Order: sequence, then structure tokens, then C-alpha cells
Amino acid sequence: MRKQWLNSGLPVLAVAAFAASAALAQTVDTARIEGAGQNDWLTYHGSYKSHHYSPLAQINANNVGNLGVAWMHVPGRSTRGLQSMPLAADGVLYYSGSYSRVFALNGATGEVIWSFFPELDEALISRQTHSPYNRGVALGEGKVFVGTMDGRLFGLDAKTGKVLWETRLIDSQKLTVGFTGAPLYAKGSVIIGSQGGEWPGRGPIFAVDATTGKKKWEFLTVAGTDEAMKTWANDSWRTGGGGGWMPGTYDSETNTILWGTANPAPLYDWSGPDYKTQGARPGDNLYTSSVIALDIDTGKLKSYHQELPHDAWDFDSAVGEFVMLERDGQKYVVHPNKGGFVFVYDRNLGVKNVWRLVENINFVKDIDPKTGALIGRRDFPVGKVTEPPLCPFIGGGISWNSGSYSPKTGLYYKIGQEWCMTLDIQKTTPVTAPQVQLNIGADFKMAPPPGGEIYGHLDARDPITGAKKWEVRYPEPPLGSVLSTAGNLVFVPDSRGVLHAYDAETGAELWKHNNGTGHQGGIVSYSVGGKQYIAVTAGFGGMLADEYAPNFGGVYKSMPRDDGALVVFSLK
Amino acid sequence: MLRLHLKTIPAGLAASLLCAVMAQAQSATPAPENGTLEVEQVFAGTCGFCHSDGGRAAGKGPQLMNSPRDDDFIRDRIKHGKPGAMPAFDGAFTDAQIDQIIKYIRALKPREG
Repeated sequence: MRKQWLNSGLPVLAVAAFAASAALAQTVDTARIEGAGQNDWLTYHGSYKSHHYSPLAQINANNVGNLGVAWMHVPGRSTRGLQSMPLAADGVLYYSGSYSRVFALNGATGEVIWSFFPELDEALISRQTHSPYNRGVALGEGKVFVGTMDGRLFGLDAKTGKVLWETRLIDSQKLTVGFTGAPLYAKGSVIIGSQGGEWPGRGPIFAVDATTGKKKWEFLTVAGTDEAMKTWANDSWRTGGGGGWMPGTYDSETNTILWGTANPAPLYDWSGPDYKTQGARPGDNLYTSSVIALDIDTGKLKSYHQELPHDAWDFDSAVGEFVMLERDGQKYVVHPNKGGFVFVYDRNLGVKNVWRLVENINFVKDIDPKTGALIGRRDFPVGKVTEPPLCPFIGGGISWNSGSYSPKTGLYYKIGQEWCMTLDIQKTTPVTAPQVQLNIGADFKMAPPPGGEIYGHLDARDPITGAKKWEVRYPEPPLGSVLSTAGNLVFVPDSRGVLHAYDAETGAELWKHNNGTGHQGGIVSYSVGGKQYIAVTAGFGGMLADEYAPNFGGVYKSMPRDDGALVVFSLK
Repeated sequence: MLRLHLKTIPAGLAASLLCAVMAQAQSATPAPENGTLEVEQVFAGTCGFCHSDGGRAAGKGPQLMNSPRDDDFIRDRIKHGKPGAMPAFDGAFTDAQIDQIIKYIRALKPREG
């Protein structure tokens, strides 16, 4: 490998610096991810604390004006854009693109160290709706782990990209669902959740032995216990849904995996207020639209909170952030819900507070901040929902990408989305066989909030109380993740393609750069040879992004939905 | 299994087998046993996710009401999809069912009120 770098004409100094950092490379293990060393980004959420925060401060509020592109990488075949969160360990950047293509790049120069293009079942993928994007990889024990749309999990040698093991976890031919989310590595296991939501499956979450690839356990998010089975009357668990398509996190103190689950199917039920006994899936539909705590060794359910009992709006809990923090001796876990509320839990998922990130919410009147109980639900019978439209839109008040918590400012930086939708709810025949993709249960259309405009906003909030310090507005909701750093900076990659840097204390814009296409993926910071880098994925398209051209026009009309690049910045 | 059938038996037979399997498998989906589709339900279940307002407005996919595309184009797109934009439904709907869907699209009118 070194020989290859030398032949490529790299400056000798860069090679020497990289060789030095590689020599210091240690295996990525649970303790190291927990420690979240400042030069690396070892897991999807930055560390198990899910802060999406970098303690690096070389790039800071005083010099960010000198930030420029250091290098770029074009993965090719970026169908539905680039949606992944890059990772960095010991000077090497790892990331994935559509079709689960994985790249290991020299973090200082972008030179390709290895690449892995899995051979996929293309005929199956052509039948899938939520495909073929991939949202990231996991690192652990000298391996890189990645899931595929055709239901497999791979363990690759982190040094060479060679396949060490491959495990089929889902019969995707039958179910037509697979894996788009990043896995999570912890304590010798690789955890990955399947797609679910709209499909007549039971939304499994798997643990696989990181060394051998052997399946350790499987938890079914649809009727996965006897208690849960009772919450799906008329055998409606067969219509399924659930799943856990974004990575959650690991709590080493309690030996627990925390994971968010997706919605039940059909998305929109025609039950009306009698949803406990009537409609497509009578009952609460456990464990959909819930946060769950599983024993990492056994997969047994330890505790849960169903954020939306009988979710009739597709405002599920699949957002993967579980922001862990301490205040006044209390340990908290903060979890945003797609409906636009942010739930604050203790470490056993007991509700401590619920606050609103989003202004336009009317699927409930409120959520009790003491108990998490829904107040004033809107459960629709068959027919039109127009006055008022349902808020938020199906894209959510909060989307699946991550916010960022800065321990330095004590603020949580999170994107909110203000939009609504009209609906025509249909009485549907139960879909229990996976023949036709999706099970929506209504016709719908994006609509502006009553008396207002569609917009998005970055909020700087107290993560526990929700108190707002400042807000920045955007004409269309940004869809990418947010990064805060110890350099007193917050980075927001927006939908039009502009990467913004704000003062973390005031929200004042300090720098911006147009990456040439919309963002809807991850952003991280890492350091190689004493130099700090910011890496962001650019590339638009997919389930939410595809709504932008018809609804907003402008730059979205010509924005590609099959293109993308990883863009890496450093100080000039 | 379906793929295996297609590889090992003549195409015509494969197609009729495929239809038979689909018709059977769809007994619990929006297709009743006589093989006809409740197209409105199919739209609300699947197509409408991208073709907004039951095909009357553009969403993730184009507006279908008053589509300038001819029937052959629409039939081909339903069967084979478009990579990264629309799934292929040739394993899900029979030709007769696709014809029903086209009929529904051609009859789409703006909603009243």
C-alpha cells in the first residue's frame, strides 16, 4: 500500500505523516468508541453519546473564513444521491454510497486505499421503492461493516476491503426489504435494523457476532413479545411495519442497546377515534413508533416507551439519535420524534420531558410532558383531511438525519421542518403478503401550514427544557445532518447545496460554500497529521428530496438525483 | 422461486405461471380473487406515495392526470420501472391489471370542491 502511495506522486511529507498515524493505529473497540478520541469519528453518531460533536478547534469562529476544499471524492452511481455518514479512524476516512459501495480513503489527500462494490441482486433492487441508497458503515475489531438492500451484512477487512464474512439476515426476495441504515458496533456485536414501515414484515433488528458473522439474536419490532401481540387485534400484526432503519446507540452502563422503531402499516388507518377496536390494525401496535431498550447480549426487551401508540400519521420513532447527557447529577437521553416533538428520557426510557421543536403540529393537540401521553389525537375516518391539513407533512417535522449537541455551549442544534399535507383516507383491504410495495392507505399532497409558508429552521435549544436561544430559517427545509465543534461553530449542509457555518453561541453566519448539489447525508470532523478536516456528503434524491422539484421548483428543477460527491474542507 | 421458474421453463408458461402465482398471492392484497384490481386502493396503497393526490398532482413522481404519455409508455414504465425513481411492478401486476391501472389514469379528473 505504501508503495502505491509513493508511485502516485503524493508529497513525501503527507505519506510520512499518514504512515506515522497508521503506525499508531489501534483497533477500534467499544472502549475507544465510548472515549470518542478527538481525531476520529468512529461510529455513526460520533460516539455512543450521539453528540455529533467534534472537540477539534483548529477550524474556529475566528478563522473559518479561510476554509476551502481540500479534496473531493466521487463514488459514482449515486442513485438517489449520497446519504451516508462518513467515519474516520487513524487518518483513514470510510464511507458508503448507493448500492452499498464502500470506500477507504486517505483522510489527508482523498486517495483511494481500497473500495468494495458488492454484487447485488439488481432485479430485486429494481422492484424496491426505498432503494438503493446506503446511510453508512460501522467500524470495529479491524473490520468495516455494511448492510445491503438485498438483506445481507458484510464484514470487511478494514486494511484491504477484503470480505471476511457475509451473512444473509433477511429473505429479501420474499419481503423486498433490506438494509439501508448504518450498523452499530458495540461489545463484539454488530447491530443492524431492517427497513419496515410500509411492508407486511415484522421489522427485525439483528445482532451479529463481529468476529464470525454468525447471527446472535433477532428482535421483532412488530408483536415481538406476547404482550405486544395483544396490541394487534384481528391478527393485524400480519400487515406489519416497524423496523429500525436508522442506527441507535449503546449504553455501556446498562449493557443496553437503544433503538428507535418505525411506523405500523398501513401508514394511515381509517379507524377514526375507535382505533382500539376498529380499522386496519386495532390496538396500540407495539413496538412500532417506539424507543426500545434491548439487552445487547440476549436481545431481550428491557424497557420501552411507545412515543405514538397506534401511530396513524407515519410520525415514527426511527430517528437514531439518543443524545446522552448529564445535568445536576441526572442522566438523560434525548430522542427526537418525526412528529416534531423531542422526548427527554432517563436511562430506562422513563419520560422526563417532551418539548416541541416544530411550530406546525396538529396530529395531536399536545403531548403531556410529564407522562408522554398524547392529548387530543386526530384519528381520521375514511375521507378527506383538508381543513386543516395534517401537520406536519409525511416527511416529518423532524427527518432522519441527525442534530448535534455541543457540551461546550450546552445547546442542541436541530433542524425543524414546517410543512403540512392534505389527505384522502381510503378503507383498504389488509395487505399481508409482500407483493406490491408499500401500504400507505391514503392519497396525499404537500400543503403549506395554515396561514403560513413552508420553511425549515435550525434551532439552538436547551436539550432538556427545549428553551430556544436562536434560530436560523431556510426557504426549504434542510435535510442533512448538523455538526457542532469546539471551534464554536455549527455546520449546516442545506438542500440547495450550500454548506453554512454559524457562530455556535449566536447563530451569526460566518462562512458558506456552494457544493453544487443538495445535501441529505452526514457531516463529520476529524484530524490527520495535526490538521483538522470537515467532510460532508453532497448529492440529492430519494423519498423526501424528490418532493422538492415539483413543490419548490427553482434550483431543484435541474438538480441531479443520481449524482454526488464527498467534499472535504480544511483551512487554506 | 419465481426467478427459478423463469429460468427453467418456457417463457410463455412462465408468464402464465407468474400470473397464477400472483393472482393467488394477492388474494389478501387489493386484488380480489377474480383478478381485477381496486385501482383506487392500489393508488392509495402504493402508487400515490409518489404520484400525489391519487395521481392528480406531481409529487416524488410526475402528475398522471392528463399525462401526455401514450399507453405503451405507461405500461412499460409500470412493468419495468425507472432506476432510482420508480420500482418495477411486473412481478406484482398482471398485464390485465396494468391495463386497469392505465384506464384509471386516463379517467382521472380534478377533485370536486
